[in-house]
Amino acid sequence: MTWTCDLIEARLSDYLEGLLQGSERAAFEAHANSCADCAPLVASVRGLVGEMHAMEELETPPRLVYAILDKTLGPRETVTGWQGFLNVIRGLATPKFAYGAASVMATLVILLGASGFTLRKPRLADLRPAAIYQNANRQAHMVYAHSVKYVSDLRVVYEIQSRLRQDENSLQTTPQEMLPKSSPEKNPGQTNDQRPSQPRQQNRANEISRQLELLAADLPMLSERSVR
Amino acid sequence: MRRHTRRIFNICYRFTGNRTEAEDLSQDVFLRVYRTLGSYRSAHGGFATWATSVTRNLLIDHYRRTKRDRVTDSLDDKMPVVENKESAGRRPDEQALLGELSMQVERALTRLSPELREAVILRDLQQLDYAEIQTVLAVPEGTVKSRINRGRIELARILQQMGVRPA
Repeated sequence: MTWTCDLIEARLSDYLEGLLQGSERAAFEAHANSCADCAPLVASVRGLVGEMHAMEELETPPRLVYAILDKTLGPRETVTGWQGFLNVIRGLATPKFAYGAASVMATLVILLGASGFTLRKPRLADLRPAAIYQNANRQAHMVYAHSVKYVSDLRVVYEIQSRLRQDENSLQTTPQEMLPKSSPEKNPGQTNDQRPSQPRQQNRANEISRQLELLAADLPMLSERSVR
Repeated sequence: MRRHTRRIFNICYRFTGNRTEAEDLSQDVFLRVYRTLGSYRSAHGGFATWATSVTRNLLIDHYRRTKRDRVTDSLDDKMPVVENKESAGRRPDEQALLGELSMQVERALTRLSPELREAVILRDLQQLDYAEIQTVLAVPEGTVKSRINRGRIELARILQQMGVRPA
């Protein structure tokens, strides 16, 4: 069979899609490569098909989907009047909204408290930016001071506890005859009128006061307290 | 639904070359699909093929309906214009996204006859196989192949006339 230009044109898509096999394909290529008219045509159609396959689809306009829904299912119902108001209230009565509102309120109360605004005696002057800043600054400093004081107090308490523990350990190791003898009348560790304290308790009380004096000497804060 | 919307919108856009017309036609397609859903049978192929067939029928109806307007437009097109009609209806970001060649192919497609245009769109842009195209167009396979082939060659010649040579 002789491959003419018309035949090349008629079978061009078959060739490009790989539907020509063996001798047909060879004959097609032989003509297409040698013919001055067919070679550029084959090349341009091949390029065009490649370009069209690479063309990306356009994104759907967002309004189109809603327009289609409106056109097929009808426009969405718009409720007005009391029914609309009730729908809004019904929407607000959901647990989700209640939790959200409660957390917003709690945040507001905390922020107002931090800014020095009191709900019991509300003053417009407290809501000035300068006053809010001043109050917030003062509150922050007070919180800082309180936390520093709390940490210091904790340190003192731990110090006392550790000293007491050391004391207890030393008492356990001390022999009974080494304990000081004291009379029930002059017992400083006495706790009630019926039963005088034991010598060991008395010794411990003496030891505690001695330790506290030492501690007060070390820590000025404790000495101030003891003065008070 | 979004997948079908995108596909149908794209077919309409490639056929008309106009975004607004494509949106209106897509709405009409879905309205017709919605109304004639009872007539859908699996014998038509898949739902997508059936919806494509509805789209194609509507596009041809639209083409015939607006033929007179286009004749007037084509007379206007012969007058010198600063900007072509297609690019005027396109947003700047789209122009940037689409390659120059793709834009020229889009323009060339609108100059093809509707029979060849629909065959090329379904084959090369929607990448349907011959059997699906045969179902959509309701013509024999030989006619489908012939239309696709002629459409491609015609399109390449139009591009050549426009001074564009796909490599």
